[in-house]
Amino acid sequence: MMRFAIIWTILGKELLETLRDRRTLMRLVLLPVILYPIFAIGVSKLLGDESAARAARPSVVAVWGRLPASFERVLGEAERVEVHPWAGAPEEVRQKLTEGSLAPPPFPDPVDEEEAIEKGKASQITAGWSEPDNEVLLAARAALGRREVDAVLVAWSDFAPAIEQDRQGQVSIYYDSVRPDSTTARGRLDRAITRARKVIRTEREVNHKVPEGFSTPIEALFRNAAPEQRRVGQLLGSMMPMMLLLMSLLGAFLPAIDLTAGEKERGTMQTLLCAPVRPLEIIWGKFLAVWCIAVLTALANVISLAFTVRRLLPDVESVAPSVFLLTFGLLVPVTFLFSALFLALAVFARDFKDGQNALMPATVPLTLLAGVASLPILELDPWTSLVPVLNIALLIKALFLGEVKTALIFWTLVSSAIYAALALLLAARVFAREQILLGGQEGARAVLGLERRGGGVPSATFSMTALGIILVVFYYGSLSVAKLGVAKQLAVTQLGMFLLPTLVLVLGFGFSARETLALRLPPWRGALGALLVGLSGGVVAAGFLVRFLPPPPELAKELGKMVLLDGAPLPLVLLLTAVMPAVCEELLFRGLLFSGLRRLGPVIAIVGSSLVFGLAHGSLYRLLPTLFLGLSMGYARYRTGSIGAGMLIHVLNNGLAASLLYFAPEVAASTEQVPWSMAFAGLAVYAAGIALLRSAGDPEPRPTLTTT
Amino acid sequence: MSAPVDASVSASVEALAEGAPAAVLEATGLVKRFGKVTAVNGIDITVRAGEVVGLLGPNGAGKTTTLRVLAGILPPTEGRVRVGGVDVAERPLEAKQRIGFLSGDTQLYQRLSPREVLRYFGRLYSMEADRLERRIEVLVRDLEMTEFAARPCGTLSTGQRQRANIARAFLHEPELLILDEPTNALDVLSGRFIVESIRRERAAGRAILLSTHVMSEAEYLCDRIVLVHEGRVIDQGTLAELLEHTGEKNLTDAFLHLVERCQVSAASAAPAVPQSKAAEGAGEGR
Repeated sequence: MMRFAIIWTILGKELLETLRDRRTLMRLVLLPVILYPIFAIGVSKLLGDESAARAARPSVVAVWGRLPASFERVLGEAERVEVHPWAGAPEEVRQKLTEGSLAPPPFPDPVDEEEAIEKGKASQITAGWSEPDNEVLLAARAALGRREVDAVLVAWSDFAPAIEQDRQGQVSIYYDSVRPDSTTARGRLDRAITRARKVIRTEREVNHKVPEGFSTPIEALFRNAAPEQRRVGQLLGSMMPMMLLLMSLLGAFLPAIDLTAGEKERGTMQTLLCAPVRPLEIIWGKFLAVWCIAVLTALANVISLAFTVRRLLPDVESVAPSVFLLTFGLLVPVTFLFSALFLALAVFARDFKDGQNALMPATVPLTLLAGVASLPILELDPWTSLVPVLNIALLIKALFLGEVKTALIFWTLVSSAIYAALALLLAARVFAREQILLGGQEGARAVLGLERRGGGVPSATFSMTALGIILVVFYYGSLSVAKLGVAKQLAVTQLGMFLLPTLVLVLGFGFSARETLALRLPPWRGALGALLVGLSGGVVAAGFLVRFLPPPPELAKELGKMVLLDGAPLPLVLLLTAVMPAVCEELLFRGLLFSGLRRLGPVIAIVGSSLVFGLAHGSLYRLLPTLFLGLSMGYARYRTGSIGAGMLIHVLNNGLAASLLYFAPEVAASTEQVPWSMAFAGLAVYAAGIALLRSAGDPEPRPTLTTT
Repeated sequence: MSAPVDASVSASVEALAEGAPAAVLEATGLVKRFGKVTAVNGIDITVRAGEVVGLLGPNGAGKTTTLRVLAGILPPTEGRVRVGGVDVAERPLEAKQRIGFLSGDTQLYQRLSPREVLRYFGRLYSMEADRLERRIEVLVRDLEMTEFAARPCGTLSTGQRQRANIARAFLHEPELLILDEPTNALDVLSGRFIVESIRRERAAGRAILLSTHVMSEAEYLCDRIVLVHEGRVIDQGTLAELLEHTGEKNLTDAFLHLVERCQVSAASAAPAVPQSKAAEGAGEGR
């Protein structure tokens, strides 16, 4: 029998103690207060910039075939449409189109289209019909794929004669719905064709002496009245559930460890156990405390989100106050689940670091479930409403987008309650083993097979998972910023996709930033070695590696252009291409990733981190030089135990390359090789640098394991 | 090793049993194993009201494990522990009500003040609010804690923290005090303060079982001394009796004499050696 007075006493004490911890307050109040406004401002700025940039850019439209004069005139007058006759058309297609030996593809039946619209399945019109593969389609697809053009307008050989002879003519417009530029071009072409239709019709009416408007009894104008901010709302709707869930998860993560493993580590657990209290009462008090803090975290996040949406994005529609209230209500069972699961795992841990690793097997799948909810293809349906965590995330998303079905809310709530209860049952089962409070390692291994123990740095699994997440963010993120200027793109990538996630993951999960990111100064020999390696690394890479796999001149040229940031001043170029990558990339690759892999041995850490570093640069031709640079920087971190050495190498290498391109831009396109004499001179300096690094001090030890 | 308790020891135990005050702590045949490691191997201990019993032994002898089993923090593998007639295994909460436990490495909550810690434990011991507050005032005064009673424990010195810890162990006025190296890591002044507090509690009629490495402390405090080695009792009795058994002049020499004698007999019975090493690791680590 449990005594509620005792549980209440324990709960009160745990809450008091946790709330007195400044770190808790940081996570509870400061993080949400900062997080959501920054996110909202970033998103709206990004979207605004992007659409403004797109609107200002003219669309490149290839016209394949002959156009009648009237149509050509209208197209020529259309705003922001550049007509490029035969652009991107293969010679064969051009010849066949001119000859008239290619027939237009069959057009979809217009009757079906109407029916489909009536049945509310408008989207099936295009989905259900697709043009059979033919020469023109393939050629247009290739031209769009090469990004030479934004759209291809094919005037079939009969088009011009048909218009001139008062018949109906056919054109096909090929565009790429995935590319925003291409859909913009499609819209512009659509408007131009509507105008041309009108012009030609009026001409025909005049020629045949038919009253004006004879063939167009109704004129209707459709205008999209939805404000731009709606899209911000949509983005918020798809991102918010994930952020809210992740923050709630963090809200339970650290207290669960702190109140169990942390208490064992601090030696206060024994004090508690000599009091006349049942282990189950202790666990219940602690569970309720963890849950309370998780719920408080969720509340703080929802409140911050609500304020952000109201204050910063006043135009976001359809987010009523009740939505925020409901959102918070939905987070309550999820936090229950998190708290029960985390506590059940954390009680086995002997100390804080051990606890972090013990909770990882639960954290990773839960994070993934919350994360995939932001994918647009996933919606709340009878199946997804039964998947734990995902169902809540999808329901919150649906709430923000204003598309909720009551039955699904019911199923979501019922299944979430069942999962929460199951987690609590598991927890109760685990708690019932009395020994665990004293740190019974044997029990943990027997029940859950957890064997890894940690230090103040993350495990290899954690680092690899974190890197996976960061690379996915990087991939999608770089798609969404592809239209920004190169300078902004670089800044967003480095700060937003490398630095921010790294810091959030390291600090958010309570790892030691100093240890994980190796934040200490290198010894002077190490710094000197890094200086030499940084000065000579580029020459060695160019003189030996690039020689065997020279990049094609176009790529080199483009890279050169990218590095120069469209003629930005040198200090800015150096800041964006040398200083920022040196800081952000080093913290991720030689910091978080290296530290995790370090447990598996120095060779794996150095080679593994360099390999990922090289692959992340996304080009076969850059792989060898970046891999080489990565190996040098990894070695520097290993030998000096400091991130500073790698940063020095990185900033020198990038800075020298950028300066060279700045003062002698023709170098980029030249196919001349670095002379052998220079290559060997570079190698000598490089070897001296490595020798200095080698003698810099004792190599960084493997992260310490907790002792029994 | 095969006959750890010789005839004279048993005789002295029997002598004590006649007409002495009631036994508060009675432990018989205690065995504690961690997996294959035997940390405590058949220990019997009795402590009476108003008596201080010292548990002495080299590192890894199984003292800490024994005290934790006696305090009900660890369940024994075999054997029985009764505190004031209550079986610790059968009725743990009632038994723990009667025990005050303190060890050198027992910690207090860093972000709570001594007063808050005492209030918290008072509630866990189901003390009535009035009695609790009065008791806290008495302890704060007696243990000279006024100056730091409202400061977070994390900011206190080792000596101050140990005084707060003593207050926590004495708080519910238990019949039995189990003190595991209570003066460990304290300076002479703080150590002496703790020792005097223990003497006061003995005067108040409590039964006290303590372990220590400080021989002078044991000589000064203990009415009886139990010597353990490799999880067994190798000798026990008053200071005078131990000196007589060994023919030595002080406790330190008597202690060394007994331990050496034990090691000689262990060397002749070879298989006992690896077991002792294992017991050392288990005993101190828990």
